[in-house]
Amino acid sequence: MSRLLEVSGVVKRFGGLAALDGLELHVEEGEIVSVIGPNGAGKSTLFNVVTGLYPPDEGDVRFDGRSIVGLRPHQITKLGIARTFQTVHLFANMTVLENAMVGQHCRTRSGVFGAIVRPPSTRREEERIREVARRSLAFFGPRLAGYRQEQPAFVLSYANRRRLEIARALATEPRLILLDEPTAGMNPRETLEMRDHIVRMRDELGLTVVVIEHDMRVVKGVSDRVIACDYGRVIAQGTYEAVAHDPQVIEAYLGRRAVG
Amino acid sequence: MRGALRPGARAGLVGGAVLVYLALVGMLVKFEELRLVGSQVTRGRLLLVLPPFAASFFAVRPRVIGGRVEQPGPGVALALGAVAGALVGAVGSVGLALVEAIGVERIRPVFVAVSPALVETLTFGRGAAAGAAILVVGGAALGAAGGIWRAIRHGLRRPVEVGLLTVVTLAMLQRIVPFMLDELRLERDWLYSRATRGLTWTGAVVVLVVATAAAAYVLDRRERRALAPAAEGRPEVRGWRRTALVTIAVVLAAALPQLAGSIVSEIMGTVGVFLLLALGLNIVTGYAGMLHLGFSAFFLIGAYAVALLTGANLVTAFGLVAPRFSADLNFYLALVLVVAIGAAVGALVAAPVLRLRGDYLAIVTLAFAQIAVILATSSWLQPITGGPQGLRDVTKAPLLGLEFRSAERFYYLVLAFCVLAVFVSWRLAWSRVGRAWNAMREDEQVADAMGVPTGRYKMLGFAIGGAIGALGGALFAVKVGTVQPGSFEIIQSITVLAVVILGGLGSVPGVVLGALVLLALPGLLSQLEEFRFLIYGAVLVAIMILRPQGLIPNVRRMRELREEERTQDAWQQIFAARQEREAAEEAAEAAP
Repeated sequence: MSRLLEVSGVVKRFGGLAALDGLELHVEEGEIVSVIGPNGAGKSTLFNVVTGLYPPDEGDVRFDGRSIVGLRPHQITKLGIARTFQTVHLFANMTVLENAMVGQHCRTRSGVFGAIVRPPSTRREEERIREVARRSLAFFGPRLAGYRQEQPAFVLSYANRRRLEIARALATEPRLILLDEPTAGMNPRETLEMRDHIVRMRDELGLTVVVIEHDMRVVKGVSDRVIACDYGRVIAQGTYEAVAHDPQVIEAYLGRRAVG
Repeated sequence: MRGALRPGARAGLVGGAVLVYLALVGMLVKFEELRLVGSQVTRGRLLLVLPPFAASFFAVRPRVIGGRVEQPGPGVALALGAVAGALVGAVGSVGLALVEAIGVERIRPVFVAVSPALVETLTFGRGAAAGAAILVVGGAALGAAGGIWRAIRHGLRRPVEVGLLTVVTLAMLQRIVPFMLDELRLERDWLYSRATRGLTWTGAVVVLVVATAAAAYVLDRRERRALAPAAEGRPEVRGWRRTALVTIAVVLAAALPQLAGSIVSEIMGTVGVFLLLALGLNIVTGYAGMLHLGFSAFFLIGAYAVALLTGANLVTAFGLVAPRFSADLNFYLALVLVVAIGAAVGALVAAPVLRLRGDYLAIVTLAFAQIAVILATSSWLQPITGGPQGLRDVTKAPLLGLEFRSAERFYYLVLAFCVLAVFVSWRLAWSRVGRAWNAMREDEQVADAMGVPTGRYKMLGFAIGGAIGALGGALFAVKVGTVQPGSFEIIQSITVLAVVILGGLGSVPGVVLGALVLLALPGLLSQLEEFRFLIYGAVLVAIMILRPQGLIPNVRRMRELREEERTQDAWQQIFAARQEREAAEEAAEAAP
């Protein structure tokens, strides 16, 4: 196993507040890592720094041995990191299929000339885009199949929006996928379904997965390793059992027990 | 009860204000001259009838109360409508009374349109008291009719509305359509009267029936198709029907000068130039979602570029001189360069503003247009641009011994480029590039995170939009034969933006229709020219309120609406069905 993602000493300040305060973590290739922590621990900021939405103030982020600090988000996506957002951000007025097709943008080339003249190469590429998009929608079985693919994204149910966001990320053909609270707002049945999908992403698609999650059943069910953060630092990591019983983690979630 | 009538009162007061306004700007009297149907229906009378009818139409509109859509019943509709209509009449009467009290002659210096003729029109020639009574009673009756009309089911009402609109449009086109029928050697006397020049009653009734039936058929089909689940497959290959429609449109457009004569060709040539601009702006604002308020800058650049590249002359005190920098290229060669210049300028302007969004971007583009005009006018560039006098003797675009200055020929030239631009727009929309623009319009940051290089696509949008806009400018220069900075004022940008918004942002057929409605109609319908900007304003306000997605919405927006209607009709059923299903699934899961 090799280190696919390595975050070392990353600091990100917003005004006086350090959302990330010398964060150190790494992710091995083929691993499923859960990042947990109370609200404001810096989990989403971590994702935003890794995907290039925020430049870090200090420290380095390496993907597959190469520093990706300073790259634009679309360049990082092209290198093979895809993500979803904590609050769902779809292209609401585009169809479900088109949403997924946008994911293929970074893997394809044809430009204005191809669009206007439509030579065979462009037609083939367009077919391929459609094919990959369909395949990534098919990851969720019948949930995003059939007539739904021609519907605009905004008519989807909440759970399906989350699924589509993941499918769009899968359509970028990533090596590493970052899922930001993929089960937020889902009912218990949908949550369990999502847990299985996360495992399938690794087992069937060969992806490395980093997931921010609050639902401990999901964390327990998917994680090879759990990383707990608080105040922009890693406070504990290891197996679910180890982290769940770590006194610092318990304190972060429940507060310090009154002495005496 | 008083609360219930409030919408009627409000709409009535607004309608009354509109009536007074129409009277004060002189539209009522001016429009009186034109006979639409027989000798009874004049355009002025139509305009007089409209406010009470429209006011009650709005007063009776369905309301959302407590989360449910409430459509007033026929009784309430009648009452509300009558109140609204009567109020419109009452406001009109108050206006009349004021005019009587002050005296027409004393008002006239301020409101030029207040004339004995106006009083005559408003009182129907029966004196002030009787006139006021007619206004109120007639208003109430019209209002009641409007209210009832609104209460009729949409599926029945809409086709008749289309029919009426067709009749009015045909009647208004009385200078053009009879001429076309004559050219086609078709019998026209049943339709258009030679005495009144308007439609005959027989003609009007026939048109109404035919148009209503056709509209009913089309709308019914569309509704059924909308209710069926959308077919899977590329929207672009929805088949030969669209191809057939496009072919028919192109053939009709090509036959137009033969049918309609040179006045129409002249008007349509100008429309074509602005259509090119609108198509360019549609790429920037409609596809890529960047509001551009200074698109006339590309118009200017295209016009000056083609003038300088094809050997136009400066006007100076010593006669005509060649500009400091100029070339004498073949027009079509020059056109390639002009397009390239438009694209380059577009991209260059975009480069420094890549990080700006929305309002800030719009302000910068506005400044860009101003700078372009100021530069063209400046004495610094006078040796090249000719300053305020501009350039003369622009090429007549010779091709194989033909010149394209005359109205008919120019029309064909501009038509060819319009078809090309429509084709390009349409191909771009359904491509990887179009999808990237769309994603960017929906959410720039997310598009970036999904792998779309947004900076590059912004520049690309500006470049292609600029290229098409510059093409429009180049053709404009050919049409007019001179280039002057005065032709490229801000109002041109606004007009083009209005065309795009009216037609539907991002929708190519919409933009074409928008150009026809906003630019061709005022030219074709006699006497509208004077009130052009008034009508623009009113149309834009109305469109923003009634149909913010434009006349022919972008396919994506259309889906949005269709879905909305469907869910509105059926949401309760859907919801109930889903609950039932989920309950069943839970039960099935719990069972083993």
